[in-house]
Amino acid sequence: MSVNSFSRLGTANAYDNTLVNLQNRQATLANLQESLSSGKKITSPSDDPTGAAQAERALNRIARIASDQRALEAQRSAITQAEGTLGDITDALQSIRELVVSAGNGAYSAAERTTIAGQISGLRDRVLSLANTRDGNGMPLFAALGSALTPFAGPQSAAPDYRFDGLPGQTATHVYAIPATLDGESAFMAQPARDGVFNIKVGNSGGGIPAGRTLTTDTIAVTDKTILGTTANLAAATAGAPVYPAYTLTVNGVDTTTTPGTTTLTYAITETPAVSTPALTTGTTSFPTGTKADIPVTVIPGLSFNFHGTPALNDTVTIAPKGSVFSVLDSAVTDIGSAANANAATQAVAQTLTNLDTCMARISAVRGQAGDLMNRAESITNINSKRNIEQESNRSRAEDIDMVKGISDFNNQQTGYQAALQTYAQIKKLSLFNFIS
Amino acid sequence: MGILNIGTLALQANQVALQTTGNNIANVNTPGYSRQTVQTQALPGQYTGAGYIGKGVSVESITRSYDAFLNRQSSLAGASQAADTVRAEHLKQLGTLFQGGAEGLGAAINDMMNAFSDVASTPADQTARTVLLTRLDEAARRMQAGAASLNDLQSGVTQGLNEKVANVNTLAKNIADLNDQVARALGSGQTPNDLLDRRDQLIRDLSKLVQTSQIAAPDGSIGVFIGASHPLVLGNSAATVAITGDDFGDPFKSKLSITRDGTTIVLDENYPPGGEINGMLKFQNEDMTEARNLLGRITTAVTTAINDQHKLGLDLDGKVGTNLFTPVTFGSDNIRVPMAPANLNSANAGAGSLTMAISDVTRFVASDYEISFSSATAGSAVRRSDGVATSFTFTPGSTTPPATRGTFTFAGTGTGVIDGLALDASTSAAPVAGDRFLLKPFSYAANSMAREFSTPRALAVANPVAATLTATNKGSLALSGIAAQTQASTAASPIDNFSVTFTVGAGGTSYSIVDNTIPNIPVGANIVVASQPYTSGQAIRYTPAGAPGFALTLSGQPASGDSVTVKQNSFTSQNGGNATAMMNLRDVAMFDGAALTDGYAGMISTLGVRAQSADYSAQVSTNIAVNAEKDRAGLSGVNLDEEAAKLLQYQQAYQASAKMIQIAQSIFETLLQGLGR
Repeated sequence: MSVNSFSRLGTANAYDNTLVNLQNRQATLANLQESLSSGKKITSPSDDPTGAAQAERALNRIARIASDQRALEAQRSAITQAEGTLGDITDALQSIRELVVSAGNGAYSAAERTTIAGQISGLRDRVLSLANTRDGNGMPLFAALGSALTPFAGPQSAAPDYRFDGLPGQTATHVYAIPATLDGESAFMAQPARDGVFNIKVGNSGGGIPAGRTLTTDTIAVTDKTILGTTANLAAATAGAPVYPAYTLTVNGVDTTTTPGTTTLTYAITETPAVSTPALTTGTTSFPTGTKADIPVTVIPGLSFNFHGTPALNDTVTIAPKGSVFSVLDSAVTDIGSAANANAATQAVAQTLTNLDTCMARISAVRGQAGDLMNRAESITNINSKRNIEQESNRSRAEDIDMVKGISDFNNQQTGYQAALQTYAQIKKLSLFNFIS
Repeated sequence: MGILNIGTLALQANQVALQTTGNNIANVNTPGYSRQTVQTQALPGQYTGAGYIGKGVSVESITRSYDAFLNRQSSLAGASQAADTVRAEHLKQLGTLFQGGAEGLGAAINDMMNAFSDVASTPADQTARTVLLTRLDEAARRMQAGAASLNDLQSGVTQGLNEKVANVNTLAKNIADLNDQVARALGSGQTPNDLLDRRDQLIRDLSKLVQTSQIAAPDGSIGVFIGASHPLVLGNSAATVAITGDDFGDPFKSKLSITRDGTTIVLDENYPPGGEINGMLKFQNEDMTEARNLLGRITTAVTTAINDQHKLGLDLDGKVGTNLFTPVTFGSDNIRVPMAPANLNSANAGAGSLTMAISDVTRFVASDYEISFSSATAGSAVRRSDGVATSFTFTPGSTTPPATRGTFTFAGTGTGVIDGLALDASTSAAPVAGDRFLLKPFSYAANSMAREFSTPRALAVANPVAATLTATNKGSLALSGIAAQTQASTAASPIDNFSVTFTVGAGGTSYSIVDNTIPNIPVGANIVVASQPYTSGQAIRYTPAGAPGFALTLSGQPASGDSVTVKQNSFTSQNGGNATAMMNLRDVAMFDGAALTDGYAGMISTLGVRAQSADYSAQVSTNIAVNAEKDRAGLSGVNLDEEAAKLLQYQQAYQASAKMIQIAQSIFETLLQGLGR
């Protein structure tokens, strides 16, 4: 006579089930509470695997951006320092330039010129030490693609007088990085084929041009860069590896009679090291007799210069290549300091001014590059901060709880749990046994 | 005197009914108790001329409310629930071992990779170097910690399995005993309700541990079967189950086996899948294995890539870099052969042995592999994670000089490399059909991962090669990157003096590579690579025969005649080129196409998805189990209100019966008084 009804409940089972439901609600409530207190939607990756991975990736990106930015700050500070250093160097060269101009004053005595040379020499040391400046981490600022700790070595007794101990070239900017060094070779060194920096000295029989006669030259003009390139390579391959051969022209003949009205100068040419083929031994220049300006001399391959004044027998012209701004300054110090008379001083001043200008143009080009890099750093910083905000919001979207929604959910659950507890307690009170007495 | 008799019988019957109701109330909370009901029947009447006069009531039997179908449903659903829940719980634990965020392995790996950036900025800075070493150590430690927590979890699982197996054996024995008792009790003609309830409850308990099917025997005993119908209990005899290793003695996997009459059979945990033991086995054999492989893959790929790159660099003393991390090597743990209790053949018949090496860390798949030979020269490799089979041909090695090793050629790649793992065999390898090998490339990698040295000076962050842009270049070339390609064995890289020269022509810009150490006689004799098209930002690679190569990346446009010289780096102390190269490993697509930095995110999401889906299954099967149990309890369970009503009902009947006796007595008295007059 058992009563089989579809809605029959086992008392113990009903209690068990209600209890399990209550426990589930409690667990949900506890999870929500944990989320609210930690501020995280995801407390375990299994809550939302995609979100967890997204948050993890965003965190990685954020750390990456921070590290990129830290590296960029180091690079920027180095470049800023390098730019400032180039500014200091330009200032020093400007002062030197003024001193050189003043040395051209015809009223100055040799002693006064020696004093000026001394001042230039002091500034030269400053330029050299500035060029070897290192950044806060001890890296040379002008290391180019890599260099010794002191990239500019010199002066040295053997050729070349100054050496760039490094790898010329400029590092490219990357998407999130700029180079930390500037190309010191490009800034301070002079390549014959690229820049054509030469120093010309005139003299006579081992001394200066005698007083009363004037003979100067203008500066070297490059007539054929290809020849210069070839010759420079040949010179670099010889012992001592000078940047370019030096030339000495000695006037060993002044012929005014063979062709009337035309003067022909004959020189003996010495090339050191001798690399040209055929070997340079002699050369001639002809000009209308009586010309005192712009007498062209084109006997050296790829180069030319003009005489100003009156060339005479046993006059010598020494053409020395200058491989760097430092060598230019060195020859300025020597030539101005040792100029015995106004003629020698004029020659030295003219040479130095032109060469200095060439060198300063190079420095200013590299300084412009530094300015570009600093701009680039600025824009990368902006990009980085935007990326950071983006990733931060990705991360937040993926794992942070929406507080409003969270609290509302919590309240809902709380109400539900309360209702469940109350109904459970009330149903528990109901029993037929209560009515049997 | 009929009424007295009927009254007495009624009293007795109702008393039994009251007692049974009381028993129901008493057992309201007893698990597995089925409520009992008294079945009464009217006694045959006495024939008179007026018809049959009823002779009262008797208790025919006491039956339990029981439905075999509902019982079986509940026990089956309970088995599924137990399996799914235990697996979900374990996966949840596994998930907590590999958390995201700053404390995770991913953050450690990323911090380490980012630390290379600081060293690249300041190569000579001892602080940056020391920080990098600390980060390397931290990453290695977290890899090891990951492996250690997996091992802890594994030992917990092993212990749990052993306890559960002991439980199964006890339960099986108890069921067998009960079978015996039930069979004897049934002999009496009445059903022993409580014994049956107890046996059903034991079977239900057993099903929670391992899914069973039951067949009732005519003698009242129940045969209990597990796995693919392997008898665990037959009549009064019980077989024993045990945990055994898999075919290859893989220490991270196990199987349930059953031994009856000296014969052991290994069961598959997936057929049928119910019961806690199967759930745990599935967790151990599939989920744990995947977690181990994922961790091992990250460990192997990241440390190998860093080691390889580090060996391309030079340290502060100009020495070639050594391993930064413990190098991952493969031994007999990683290449396993079948061993007892392998089902088919207990050992390989051939004498072959395999060797495995890392070929390409970017192609790794987090999986074990099974190599099986279908003949001495062919077979297939099955990737266990997804079951993809790759067939191969095998060329046996030769022991006669010059000795050669046995080589594999995989279909598709044409090489002996499968998923970045290079395989070959010893010279004496002579496989026969049926030989099998299990490759576990990633299971052990993280166990002993450590940083190899702690000398900041020995960090080889300098580039062995350097590039020089010719000072007289007229174009806008700038150096994006220069890197060594392969490793010089001991000393600094002997790469020396190659020039890359550019020609701009009508057909675009092209480059040639000139070896400056070769005299240019006749003209062009020193050109080693002629006229290749140049693209800004694309690496120019060259590896001379028998010497390390280089990869040169330039940006900008060259002018005709511009050149770049590549030579040995003579300024290593100020160079962080190799640190940059290591830092750039961050973006190498390494884990199924994801970048190195995102490998860990992939791992936690893979494990998270597993945990999530296991959680869903557990919820579903719990609901099903709850409903099935509700249905069973609806029929068999005690309802107190019902019993209260019955109490009243039987109490009234009992009181009525007593009244009957009282009336019989008063009739008798009336009769006696009448006689006495």
